[in-house]
Amino acid sequence: MKGLWKYISPFAPDQSGAAAVLYGLGGIVVICDAGGCAGNICGFDEPRWFSGRKSAVFSAGLRDMDAILGRDDLLVRKVCAAAETVGAAFVALVGTPVPAVIGTDFKALCRMISRKLNVPALSVPTTGIGYYDAGMKAAYEALLPALTQEESVVEQGRAGVLGAVPLELADPDEQQVIAETLQREGWKKTTFFDCREDYEQAGRNERNFVVSPAALKGAHYLYERFGTPYEIRYLGRPLPGDVRNAVKGQRVLVIHQQIAADAIAEEVLRAGASFVQTAGWFLADPSCIRPGHIRLKEEDDWCQLADNDAFDVILGDIYFKRALPHFTGLYIDMPHFAVSGRY
Amino acid sequence: MMEHKHSQPYAITVQDLVRRGKDRIPEELLSSEHLIYNSPAALAFNSPGAQGFGVKRAGLSIPGSIMLLIGPGCCGRNTTILGEQGGYQDRFYFYILDETDIVTGRHLQKIPQAVAEIVESRREKPSVVMLCMTCVDALLGTDMERVSRKAASVCGVPVVPCYMYALTREGRKPPMVDVRRALCSLLEKQPRHRRTVNLLGFFSPLQEDCELYPILRQMGLVRIQELSRCRNFDEYLAMSQANFNLILHPESWLAAQDMEKRLGIPSITLTRLYQVSQIHRQYMALSRALGSPIDDEPWLEQARQAVDAIRTRFSGVTMAIGGMQNGNAYEMALALTRYGFIVREIYASLSPDDFVYLRHLAQWSPDTEVYSNLSPTMLYYEGASHPVNLTIGKDAAWYHGTAAHVNWDDDIQPFGYAGVLSLLRRIGSALEERGHSTR
Repeated sequence: MKGLWKYISPFAPDQSGAAAVLYGLGGIVVICDAGGCAGNICGFDEPRWFSGRKSAVFSAGLRDMDAILGRDDLLVRKVCAAAETVGAAFVALVGTPVPAVIGTDFKALCRMISRKLNVPALSVPTTGIGYYDAGMKAAYEALLPALTQEESVVEQGRAGVLGAVPLELADPDEQQVIAETLQREGWKKTTFFDCREDYEQAGRNERNFVVSPAALKGAHYLYERFGTPYEIRYLGRPLPGDVRNAVKGQRVLVIHQQIAADAIAEEVLRAGASFVQTAGWFLADPSCIRPGHIRLKEEDDWCQLADNDAFDVILGDIYFKRALPHFTGLYIDMPHFAVSGRY
Repeated sequence: MMEHKHSQPYAITVQDLVRRGKDRIPEELLSSEHLIYNSPAALAFNSPGAQGFGVKRAGLSIPGSIMLLIGPGCCGRNTTILGEQGGYQDRFYFYILDETDIVTGRHLQKIPQAVAEIVESRREKPSVVMLCMTCVDALLGTDMERVSRKAASVCGVPVVPCYMYALTREGRKPPMVDVRRALCSLLEKQPRHRRTVNLLGFFSPLQEDCELYPILRQMGLVRIQELSRCRNFDEYLAMSQANFNLILHPESWLAAQDMEKRLGIPSITLTRLYQVSQIHRQYMALSRALGSPIDDEPWLEQARQAVDAIRTRFSGVTMAIGGMQNGNAYEMALALTRYGFIVREIYASLSPDDFVYLRHLAQWSPDTEVYSNLSPTMLYYEGASHPVNLTIGKDAAWYHGTAAHVNWDDDIQPFGYAGVLSLLRRIGSALEERGHSTR
């Protein structure tokens, strides 16, 4: 039945994706919710919270009367008070289902806030309905024009990596793996757009690498603005030897975000798989989509595709396996934090 | 009056709070007056279900029940944790709303069919299907009672709505109050048994060694019922046979009121306390209310001895007490101060009701500072600048990484003298583990 999910819990929502991109940039991030959405981000979707590194993420603490009466002035007052307390460099408002339903005018809120505070105010009008990648994409789109500074001098050997937030990574050390990979290839400096300077100095990058489809538009913006070329590339760890052995001569299904899925599929083919299919629920940009890729929408789509013996091996987050009681092949876990909230 | 603002976490001493009075609580301590800082220490407030019991986990307290959560995907996100760690994996289902559902309300037509499909897919028929609604349906004004009746008629199983409306958190019926009412809503009037009592308030049982059980038996009560101890749906239904309810958590007032109105079951409130003398007084008051003698002497004596022992060993140990634990932070601070500890800081929400404890605490420990985990200024809080030997509560532990910790947030609920004994034991062990010298 459309809309009914019996086995798989919902994936990281768009507001979590937006908050992940906005994390630690020196602004204040205001989740415009009643509390639960901010709690989900903090308690579940943002492992950096528990690393001890602080970030000014707040809940607007909306109440029924705010929704009924549309008390934007109260919200603006609270935001300005917090921004002044924290000395925020910018204010980012992140949407949730409540402002989506009551039709909050984020642009007007931003105008009111920036006029009072004299710092940039931007909004990411997420709704809680989309997936994390839509929120990441929207956050890059809002942040890049607001924070990047004009910069004409390109620094040779400086690489930017877009999209490497914890929600997209397979393990907590993967950012380090990416940096080491690029260093081996001769890149002297790698930036991850996880601090404000990386945005401000984005024009200095010699090249940008895009590891998530959610960051493609952002990379394209930087190309148009500074002429920085970008490369779509999976920079995570290669498949372990036992996995390469396991897929030889097998029909393999890979389920992940598009860039990771494509790279894994290529590796699986090189390892001798007889057939590879990719599938996923997440953004599949035409520029990186693999021919034949299957876009899933419902849980039922997944069951129809994989809860049978059409494939010998499935590579994906183990969480998806719950919906496949009839799959008898080999399921190899490839963690995706945005799916199962674990590495 | 000592207050810090800007680049420092906001704090106010107990003495100053009492001077201001309960009608002039500083804005910095009122969550409705500022943005809510979203840190791990605030998790219990923002997302009670992420740790402990929120509406989703609480809503599954009826034996054999399952839940269909109806909302945008974001509302069900942290349910993954419950499924993985809490053994609820096969009890949660999701109807994920899309934009068309929200705009047209078409999901309301589909819910009965979804419930029927879920019930059919299960090997065993559930005892009840809980429909968990979120802020979206709150704003749409959905009549979920009606939808539930329709769903029940289609699938032949009771269907009960519960409301995860964070928007109403500070309203008259906050979500955690209403879910307790919802859980009792299937009880139907039955002949009452004179020697049966319900313990209302918690979603897990009291600690096994709690003296409340033998004390109630002393009073002739032979059946002591708790929702969390019901092994099946019939035992749940038998809760309507109780002669009276004991309310052990203030958030049960609505459930108790509803049971009194519909089932004629009256109630008496007992408060979870950590002051031994007050626990004794409360039992004496219960004795008077029920007209039956209570002899709590053995447990009272044991608790007094434990207090004397801890005072001898650890008097002067400094501590910080948070709100993410099984107790009222202010009452616990008062108790532990009386037992010889020095409570330097408290991190907890403050309500006018807490002033009953604050007034006494101001006499014992006027310089104890009160912080709100939710204040934006807590971004500047550095535990290292305020060192303590021990923390109680997960939030306090978050601030003071190097101190000894007593999380005190287990599902099994401490209560009465047994609660005091357990707490003091845990404090003693935590301090000993950290090599804190005993006298």
